[in-house]
Amino acid sequence: MSPLPATPAASDDPLTNEFSQALRPVSLGADAWRRLRRNRMAVAGLVIIGLYALFTLAAPWLPIHPYAEQVVAHENLPPSLRPAGELMLAARTAYLTRFRASEDRAGFNAEERDELAEMARAIRTDPVHRRHYWLGTDNLGRDMLSRLLYGGRISILIGLVGTVTSMFLGILLGSIAGYAGGTLDNLIMRFVDIMYGLPYMLLVIIMMALFGRNILNLFVAVALISWLTLCRVVRGQIISLKQAEFVEAARSMGASPARIIFRHLTPNTLGVIVVFSTLMVPQFIMTESFLSFLGLGVSAPLASWGSLVAEGAGVMSLYPWQLLGPAAAMTLFLFAMNFLGDGLRDALDPQSKGRV
Amino acid sequence: MLRFMIRRALGLIPTVFLVITFAFGIIRIAPGGPFASEKKLPPEIMANIEKRYHLDESVPRQYVRYLGDFVRGDLGPSFRYKDFTVGELIADALPASMLIGALALLIAVTGGIGAGILSALRQNSWVDYTAMSLAVIGISVPLFVIGPVLKLYLALKHPWLPTSGWLGGRSGWLVLVMPVLTLALPYLAGIARLTRASVLEVLRADYIRTARAKGLSERVVVARHVLKGALLPVVSFLGPAFAGIITGTVVVETIFAVPGMGRLSIQAAINRDYTLIMGDVIVFSVILVAANFVVDLCYGFLDPRISYS
Amino acid sequence: MNSIKLFVLAWLTVLSMSLHAQDFVFNNGSEPQSLDPALISGVPEGRISMALFEGLTVNDPDTALPVPGLASSWTVSKDLRTYTFTLRETTWSDGTPLTAQDVADAWLRVLDPQTGSAYAYLLGDNIEGADAYLKGKGPASGVKLHAAGPHTFEVTFVGPLPYALAMLAHSAFMVTPTFAVRRYGPGAWTKPAHFIGNGPYVLKTWRPQDQIVVVKNPRYWDAKNIRLRSITFLTIEDQNVAFDKYQAGEIDYITDDSIPVARIDEIRLMRDYHHMPGSSIYYFVYNLTRKPFDDVRVRKALSMAVDRDELVRRVLKAGDVATAGFVPAMGGFRTAHGNGFDLDQAKRLLAQAGYPGGRGFPRITITYNTSARHKLICEWLQQAWKSNLGIAVELHNLEWNTFLDTKQKTHDFQLARSGWVADYPDPSNYLDMFKTGAGNNDGLYSNPRYDRLLARAATLLPGPARDQVLEEAEQILVSEDQAVLPCFFYVTRFVLDDRKWGGIHLNAIDLHQPRWWYRK
Repeated sequence: MSPLPATPAASDDPLTNEFSQALRPVSLGADAWRRLRRNRMAVAGLVIIGLYALFTLAAPWLPIHPYAEQVVAHENLPPSLRPAGELMLAARTAYLTRFRASEDRAGFNAEERDELAEMARAIRTDPVHRRHYWLGTDNLGRDMLSRLLYGGRISILIGLVGTVTSMFLGILLGSIAGYAGGTLDNLIMRFVDIMYGLPYMLLVIIMMALFGRNILNLFVAVALISWLTLCRVVRGQIISLKQAEFVEAARSMGASPARIIFRHLTPNTLGVIVVFSTLMVPQFIMTESFLSFLGLGVSAPLASWGSLVAEGAGVMSLYPWQLLGPAAAMTLFLFAMNFLGDGLRDALDPQSKGRV
Repeated sequence: MLRFMIRRALGLIPTVFLVITFAFGIIRIAPGGPFASEKKLPPEIMANIEKRYHLDESVPRQYVRYLGDFVRGDLGPSFRYKDFTVGELIADALPASMLIGALALLIAVTGGIGAGILSALRQNSWVDYTAMSLAVIGISVPLFVIGPVLKLYLALKHPWLPTSGWLGGRSGWLVLVMPVLTLALPYLAGIARLTRASVLEVLRADYIRTARAKGLSERVVVARHVLKGALLPVVSFLGPAFAGIITGTVVVETIFAVPGMGRLSIQAAINRDYTLIMGDVIVFSVILVAANFVVDLCYGFLDPRISYS
Repeated sequence: MNSIKLFVLAWLTVLSMSLHAQDFVFNNGSEPQSLDPALISGVPEGRISMALFEGLTVNDPDTALPVPGLASSWTVSKDLRTYTFTLRETTWSDGTPLTAQDVADAWLRVLDPQTGSAYAYLLGDNIEGADAYLKGKGPASGVKLHAAGPHTFEVTFVGPLPYALAMLAHSAFMVTPTFAVRRYGPGAWTKPAHFIGNGPYVLKTWRPQDQIVVVKNPRYWDAKNIRLRSITFLTIEDQNVAFDKYQAGEIDYITDDSIPVARIDEIRLMRDYHHMPGSSIYYFVYNLTRKPFDDVRVRKALSMAVDRDELVRRVLKAGDVATAGFVPAMGGFRTAHGNGFDLDQAKRLLAQAGYPGGRGFPRITITYNTSARHKLICEWLQQAWKSNLGIAVELHNLEWNTFLDTKQKTHDFQLARSGWVADYPDPSNYLDMFKTGAGNNDGLYSNPRYDRLLARAATLLPGPARDQVLEEAEQILVSEDQAVLPCFFYVTRFVLDDRKWGGIHLNAIDLHQPRWWYRK
C-alpha cells in the first residue's frame, strides 16, 4: 500500500489559518504597510505630506523670491497673476481716493498727483515691479509664498521633533510605570504630576533667556512637556492590558519584563498611541505659534506657520490672504497628518493581523 | 477603596511641596526681577524695596519663610500689583476661568463623546466622514484663528454678540458664548476622534462578540458594554484636558478679555511676580492632582479588571 | 393701570439711557500696578490717577501748560526758587478739610525711602534738601517744604526751574490722603471700600484684569463743572481686541497705545482718527563700550544709512515725524540737525573705519522688546542696513522684563531700541539722562564737556542763553558723538468721535485729564 499524499492538517501546520489558506509569516511592519496601502485617505495623506516635505526641503532651490527681502513699495499686495507694479499703483490710487473722500476733497492734491506719477514712472523703469506675487505680500512687501515655504520648514520640523520626543519618552516611561506598578509607578507618576504643575510659560521664558533664543532651544522647549499626556495614556492602557492572557502566556514562557513590555504590550497600545500622537502634532505647531505670539518663537526675519498665522489673524478683515495662506497650508498639513494617523492606527492594529 | 482614596489624598501633600520647591528655585534663576521699570530706580530705593519683600535674604531663607506663610494660608503680597495679595487676585480670577472651563468641558465631553460614538457605530458612512473631517478641522485650526473668525462674524459683521468682556456688563451672560465655544471646539474634536478610535477597538473585542451572541440589542450592547471599555482613554485624556483648559486658556482670555487665571499667570511670568507665580503654580497643581484623582476613580469604575492593590 | 406701568417703564428706560449716556468707557491698557500715585510709573496708572487725585497744578487740555489745580494762585520769590501756593478751601471726598499740611505729608511720603516710589527722583532732584532724605542721608525736616498756614504751602527748589509748575502736575506731586494711608494701610486705602480722594472722580469698583469704574466726586472743588457721571477704564492688553470694541461701539475712545500698528491704513481713513506731532522720541541706543560701536565713524555711518522718511511715510504711515535730532522743539529751543540720510557719506565713513563696502564688519545685534511695532521697525532697519551698507544684522527679541534687565542692568547689548517720554516739557529732561553715570544712561555714554554744559544750564534762568547752552549739548550728543540713533518723534493720536465727546484735545505730550471730559 502506497502512502496517501500528505494533506496538511489545520491543527499541526502553523502556516494555515482556519480556512486552510496558506499564510506567509509577516512581520507587523510589512503587514501594516500592506493594509495601509489599501486605505485611500491615508495614502492621500501620505502623498500630501510627502509633497510638503519635498517643497519645503527644496525651497532654497526653487525659483521663488527670497523670503526675507523687503520691497516696502509692494506692501500688502493681494494674491494675483498680474505684475506687482500694476497692483501697487491700483492699490495706492484706490487708497488715496478713499483718503481724499475722508477729507471731503473732490480731486487729488499736488502731492498725491506727484506721488502717483512717480509711481507710474517707476513701474516702467524698475524691473522689480515686474514681479509676480502669487500669494500676495505682507506688510513689509515680502513674498507670502516664500515665507510660507520657509515657515513650513520650521513648523514641520517642530512637529516632528515634538512628536518623536513625546513618543519616545512617553512610551518608555508610561510602559515602565504601568507594568511595574508599585513604587516605581508612583515615582514616575509623581514626576509627571510635578512637571504638569510647573508654569510652562515661565519655564520657556527662563530657558530662552538662559540659553539663548535659537531654533534648538525652541525644540527643547516644545518637547519639554510634550510627553506627559502620552505617558499617562500609555500607562493607563498598559494597566488594563497587563492582566490579559497573552501577557500571562509570555511571562510563563520566561519572557523578561522588557520583552513583555516592548514586544507584546506596546504594540497593543499602538493604536491609541498613534492617534494621540497625531493629535499632538497640531498642538506642537500651535504651541510654537503661541510662543511666537509672545515673542519667544523664531526670531525675525525667520517665520513659521505659527508666527505667520498670528500676524495674519490681526489683519484678517483687511488683508485676508495674509491669514488664509498660512492657515490653509497649516490646516492641510494637519489634515493629512490626521488621515495618515488614522490609517496607521488601522494598519497597526495587531488584532486584525492575519485576516484577509 | 477608602484606603486608596486616603492614600492618594495624602499623596497630594508631597506633590505640592515638591512643586513649590522646584518652581521656587526655577523662577529665581530667571533674569530680571519684579521691580524693573523703564525709569530705573536709584540703588538706595531698590535696597529698601528688596528689604520690604525679603528679597535681600538668601534664597533658602526666603524659601523657608514662604513655606511658613503658606502653611498658615498666606500666599503673600503680589510683587507687581501692590494693592493686592496673591490670594485676592486668584480668588478673583479663578472663578472666571473655571466657569468658561467647566462649560467648555461640558460641551466638549457631551458633544465629543456623542459624535465619536455615532461615527464609530456608522463607521465609513457619510456621517462618519463628515464628523471626522469637521473634527480634524477643529484640531487643525488654532484658537487665535477660530476666536477672531467667530468674533468677526458673530460680533462685528452682525452685532449679535458682544466682541469681548465679562459678566456684569451691558450684555450679561452673552459674553460667555464665544469664549466657551472657541475653547470647546478643539477639545470636542479631540474627544470625538479619541472616542471613535477606542469604540472601534472595543467593538472588536471578544466580550462584545459574546454580548451580541447572547442576543442583546445593539443599544444595550453599546450602552452597557461598549461604553465602559471605550471611555477609558477618553477619561484619561480628561484629567490633563481640564487642567489645561483652566490655566492654558491665555489665548481665549486674551481675545475675549476674560479676567481669568490664564491671563493672570502669563502676566505674572512676564512680570516676574514671584509670589503670584507661586500662587498660580500651587493652585494649578492642586487642581491637577484632584482631577487626576477623579480620573483614577473613574478608571476603576469603568474597567472592572483593574484592582486597587 | 397698564398705561401707568407703560409710562413708568418708558420713563425709566429713557432715564437709564440718559444716565447711561453720561458714562464714558474706554480701554486703559494693562492692569495698574497700584492706584497710589506715589507708587506708580506707567501710563495706564497715570490716567487713572488723574481722575482720582489732583496736584497743585493741572494740565490745560489744549496747550498742556500748567493751570491752577488745588492751588488757586501762587507767588514766586525774586530768585525764582521759592514758590508760595495759596490752596483752595476744599475737602477730601469724605468731608475732611484739605490743608497745606496734607500737601507736605504727601510729598514727604513720596520721598520717604521706605515707600519705594519710582518717581521720587523728580522730587529728590528738584526740591532743596530732598535728595538727602530720599537717599537716607538726611532727616525729613531737612526737606525745604512746609505748610506756612492751613492753606498756604511753601517749597524751595534747587534752582530757578523754568518747568517747576508743569512738573507739579505730574502724578508724583499729587496730593494723597496720608491720614488714610496711615489709617487703613497700603493696599487697603486704595480699595473702593475705604477710598478717599480729592480728584474729580472717586473709585467705585475695581475688578482686577477687568475694569475700574470711577464716579463723579460731589465734594470736588469744581464739581459743578464735572459733567460725566462715571468713567470706566477697561483692562485689555491686546490692541486688536480693544480696537474691535471701538468698531462695535462698545467703547468710546481709543488711546495711542491701543491702536494696532498693522491696521493703520484703515484707521487713518476714519473720521474719528485725530493726530498731531508729539514730543516723545523713538531711538536706538548704542552700547559705546562694545565694538564696533566704540568707533564714532561706525555710529555715524549707521545713522546716515537710515532713510527715516521712508520709515515714517511708507512703513509706519502714522504721521510720525522723522528726526535725526533728539530733543523736540519747544519754546525757543530748536532741535539739532543730527546726521540724517546721506548714503555716500555713510559708505565713506564705514570705509574709513576699516570696513569698505561692509566687508569685515562684525555681525551686530539689535535688541528690542516684543511688540508688533518694534518688530516692524527693526526688521525694516535690518534690511535697510543690509542693502545700503552690506552689513549683517541680527534681531534679538526679548520680552519686557528680560529686555529691561538687559538694557539697564547687564548692558548686554550692542544696539537697543529705546523711547523717551518727557516727564515735563523741558529740553533738560531729555538731555539729563546722558550725563556720566546717570541712572538711565544705558549706553554708558560719557563726555565731560557734555556734563559741564548741562551743569551750567541748571544754573541759568530760562531764556535764550539757557536754550543756547542746551542746544550745544544736544549737538555734542547727536551730531558729534552720535551716542544714540534717533529715528522719529512719535505722533500723538487717539480715536474719538469728537462730535459726541468733548474735552479731549490733541496736545504735544499726549496728556488728557479726565476732569475736562464731557458729553456734548
